[in-house]
Amino acid sequence: MRAVIGSYTIRIERRADLRWWHTVVASVLAILVSLFLVGFAFLRAGADPLEVYREIIAYAFVSSFGLPQTINRATFVLLAAFALIVPLRAGLWNIGMPGQLYAATLAAFGVAYAFGAKASVNAQLNGAIVIPLMVIAGLIASGLYGAIAGFLRGRLQVNEIVTTMMLNWAMLWIVAHMIREGGPFMGRTAEGEGFTLPTAIRIPQILGLPLTAYAAVLLALVLTWFLAKTTLGYRIRTFGESPRAAEYAGIYATRISTLVFTLGGMFAGLAGFHYFTGVPGVYKIPKNYGEFADFSFYGLITGLIARNNPIAAIPVAILFGGVSGGARFMQGKLRLAFGIDYALLGVLMIMMVAFQALAQYSVRIERVVTAPARQVGLERGESRVESPRH
Amino acid sequence: MGGDGARRIVLEARGITKRFGTVVANDHVDLTIRAGELHAILGENGAGKTTLMRILFGELQPDEGEIYLNGQRVHFRSPRDALRQGIGMVHQERKLIPAHTALENIVLGHPKKRPILNLKEAERDAQALCERYGFRIPLHAKVWQLSEGEKQIVEIIKELYQGARILILDEPTSVLSPPEIVKLLESLTNMAKEDLAVIPFITHKLPVVLEYCDRVTILRRGRVVAEMETRQATEQTLASAMVGREVMLQLERVEVPLGEPVVQVQDLWVRDDRGLFAVQGLSFEIRTGEIFGIAGVAGNGQEPLAEALAGLRPVERGSITLSGRDITRAPVLERWRQGLGYIPTERRDVGSIPNLSLVDNVLLNYHFEPELSQWGVLATGRARALTERILQEYSVVAAGPDAPARSLSGGNLQKVILGRVLSRPPRFLIACLPTHGLDVGAAEFVQQRLLDAKREGMAILLISEDLDEILALSDRIAAIYEGQFTGIVSAREATKELVGELMAGLRRERV
Amino acid sequence: MSSLLVISLAAAAVFAIAALGELLEQRAGILNVGLEGVMLLSGTFGFIASKTSGSYLQGFTIAILTGALVGLLHGFFSITLGSNQVVNGMAIWILGFGLTTYIGYPYTGPLGLKPFPTLGGLPTFFVVALVLAVAIWFLLFKTHLGLELRSVGENPSVAEASGISVTGMRYLAAVLAGMLVGLGGAVYSLVYNPVWSYNYLQGWGFIALALVFFSLWNPFLVVVGAIFFGILWQLSLYPELLFPNIFSRYIWRAMPFVITILVFILLSTRWFRLRWGATKPEALGIAYERQG
Repeated sequence: MRAVIGSYTIRIERRADLRWWHTVVASVLAILVSLFLVGFAFLRAGADPLEVYREIIAYAFVSSFGLPQTINRATFVLLAAFALIVPLRAGLWNIGMPGQLYAATLAAFGVAYAFGAKASVNAQLNGAIVIPLMVIAGLIASGLYGAIAGFLRGRLQVNEIVTTMMLNWAMLWIVAHMIREGGPFMGRTAEGEGFTLPTAIRIPQILGLPLTAYAAVLLALVLTWFLAKTTLGYRIRTFGESPRAAEYAGIYATRISTLVFTLGGMFAGLAGFHYFTGVPGVYKIPKNYGEFADFSFYGLITGLIARNNPIAAIPVAILFGGVSGGARFMQGKLRLAFGIDYALLGVLMIMMVAFQALAQYSVRIERVVTAPARQVGLERGESRVESPRH
Repeated sequence: MGGDGARRIVLEARGITKRFGTVVANDHVDLTIRAGELHAILGENGAGKTTLMRILFGELQPDEGEIYLNGQRVHFRSPRDALRQGIGMVHQERKLIPAHTALENIVLGHPKKRPILNLKEAERDAQALCERYGFRIPLHAKVWQLSEGEKQIVEIIKELYQGARILILDEPTSVLSPPEIVKLLESLTNMAKEDLAVIPFITHKLPVVLEYCDRVTILRRGRVVAEMETRQATEQTLASAMVGREVMLQLERVEVPLGEPVVQVQDLWVRDDRGLFAVQGLSFEIRTGEIFGIAGVAGNGQEPLAEALAGLRPVERGSITLSGRDITRAPVLERWRQGLGYIPTERRDVGSIPNLSLVDNVLLNYHFEPELSQWGVLATGRARALTERILQEYSVVAAGPDAPARSLSGGNLQKVILGRVLSRPPRFLIACLPTHGLDVGAAEFVQQRLLDAKREGMAILLISEDLDEILALSDRIAAIYEGQFTGIVSAREATKELVGELMAGLRRERV
Repeated sequence: MSSLLVISLAAAAVFAIAALGELLEQRAGILNVGLEGVMLLSGTFGFIASKTSGSYLQGFTIAILTGALVGLLHGFFSITLGSNQVVNGMAIWILGFGLTTYIGYPYTGPLGLKPFPTLGGLPTFFVVALVLAVAIWFLLFKTHLGLELRSVGENPSVAEASGISVTGMRYLAAVLAGMLVGLGGAVYSLVYNPVWSYNYLQGWGFIALALVFFSLWNPFLVVVGAIFFGILWQLSLYPELLFPNIFSRYIWRAMPFVITILVFILLSTRWFRLRWGATKPEALGIAYERQG
């Protein structure tokens, strides 16, 4: 595409090669522009956006209350990002993290319930036995819940976006059944929330953070190694790049599809497990469980912004964990309408897609120079030549 | 056909010159086309035919030179513009929509159309055209159901229907069997009788040019080197003019004593993507050291056969045995372990992954090998070493083992694929269109490697659309037509005419 | 029982209109998986417009306009910038769901207008959906524009060679689709269930998307499928009608989603998948780059 303005020519062309730093710049710009746009909401409430962001940063990343909250939220987002990344490396979309995370949560709480945890917060349970069982139950449940979508996609080519979305909504209603109006997991207060986990089987903390937070970072490294260096990782990547070449190489769609969705489901499951059994002040399935379902979509954006790189997802997850939590805090403080963090989510997504798309193009501005025709050195038959790209 | 002076000149190009950077693709080319004649344009790849053609039908603008249509100076701004003025183009690759009917394709994009689709009227007009030029096409059939020759006719009708009086055909005979070529040229001759002008661009089929065309213009290195009536030409004069020297490319025939049968196929039935039987009860066997060639026009079942043998397509009925083991339903990796190697037709979409490195591409055939995958972890060092060895042995021009596969030319990519498949020498190799689209040097390299492999005792199934290649390389040749073998002949008895007729289903030998 | 049918048809109207829009767009080769987002945006803005003005007309107008704009946006990313259409659709969905949660919140609650009039006992918009189905069928198969639209979705380079502007056609399809999907969103929030609440659309956009896949890109099958889902939905809301006292009401609410998946599975026979592969617009979801 070419436009001529005055004596300048502006050329917009698709880039021949996309460097990694082009996409980094695009992601950074997307984040900045989104924050800028959401700032208008603060402006409407009569506050100075810069001041608000300063407070958000102070709250989320500096304050002694806000920082652990940020890390806990970031862990949730990071694990949800892995749930997107693994299937996406195989070219498949897992948007079922809400359903998968609650599958694991219900399974884990189910194990706790089976051990009589509902009775009292001080129930004497052996954490060393029950917690691992809860983890295993959670992984199995969420892995299976994910595998359904993966298997259907591989075997019957059923669209995974629709199946995972349907599974999400189904699971959310099942959670409602379990914790509301006389459901088995309903808590003492009978206000539509789940029972509180006894102290004995809460996830232990190190340095004020639940073990799961450390595990998530470790998993980022393991996952990166897995995808790059193992045969299974190779097969997943190959399938993602070219299903037909993969089929040629004996790598089958059904197996890969089921596998990546099982893994993805498990990661989402861990997110749920982390938040509801490991974060201080929670330790139960809360009344606003639907909002956590939505919050897991921050994991989707994180995975996309990090370009499917688990380690790059860590700083992004921390950023989103902090900003979304801080925005919530300011929403309360400024008495804004509910959902400022949702608005941020929405704007972020569209900005990210926009900037990633724009990063594919280079803009060059040239000054058109008219040189006098020169006849020196031209032989018969030759003439001046411009260089069209043919 | 009357004398020269009787026919008026409809299209004249004078001094057409086109440059791309420092390359002069067309150098003051003159062309004179008369009504009612078939005027061939001959030239090797790179002679400037394509550029000239694109200028004539409006896709490119010449740097110098003029075009005159019926004596008037004209200027084509686009192919649509050219069509509006009466020049139509039928490309080498089909430009039809398979899912739509022939009639829908003919009508698509008609310059003078009213909003409501009046297929009845269109049908009447198209039918009239068919009758006038002697075409027989079922207009309501979906294009995917038609043969290659019929598809080409549909495109011709489309151009005529939309107003072309001059037709340019790019390599019209390349995908046709010999009898279909005859039919096409007869139709073109009929059209010429009706005062249309037809310009077929043909590279190799010199006998066709001599028999059917009236005049021929020969291009070499961008210039017109000869223009003559075909009455005055011979194959020899045409060929020398095209190339400028004597060209003989001969491969050494390799005589190898044949051994035991390696592959046995019995009564194989395979369905295609639409659920119809593409392979109907084929039976054959291939011995060690033998190249078994399958000759056929594209779409007669060769691809589904190769895919079924490779494990990429299910077998409905029948059996496949490799070295005594039944692999009819074995998964791909199992077949590879038993010694099957497969070079697929589609280099870039199936045989390789463009965005991944050459190492990753080599691993496509090795990811399950114990030496390269230990305890589930890839031995990347060994994979790199293997890749480097292949690059060297096969003289591949590439930036290095980490270069992405898309950075390689077709010929070099094919060498990598060949190298990777042959590095763990299979007992049985399936090679599908191995030299398709490759330049002469690369094609020769690949063919030589196949002969080397044969000498080492490999059984090879060669599927190719290049009849010359099949005749040159194979020990036995099977002609396939609509999913069945119409004949299996030994190389000694095979002639181009015989195989051509078998390919077109005009003849059947006892198989 | 007959009132159940009537409400089912009202629901069917939403599914059908939105799905017909997407069908049109997919026939031209554009895939928009973010229907949920389009419907949320158009439904919310339409709701706000109607609530503040007291007029249905204003609500519908704003909704259709919103849909057209979002369609244009999706078109810009997918056609001009040529980026991955599934990612773009996801973006539209999350944009829609994120933005409307914030913007709609202050308007939580019922619309408060007089119920939209019916047409001879039938929900008006169901009749509209039927008319639209016929219109779209006619457009696609009986007009030159439709033939060109379909060819753009099957093989854009052939279409381009035949003198059709692929870009123009696809933009047209994207905007028209956006308008229809927007209309569908408005029918939901203004007529079928005129109450705004957090997450009010309950995944209907995704069901509409599924409908297009099920329908083998045939407008009449879309309507049939929509009716089926409409009935399914009502049963899930009022299970007492057929199955008194089995399962808690929450499990019933989960049913339509489970059944959608089951329908997918049952339909995905070999025969169906062959037909599906054959009718699918070949260039669906693939960006087109003009050569030279």
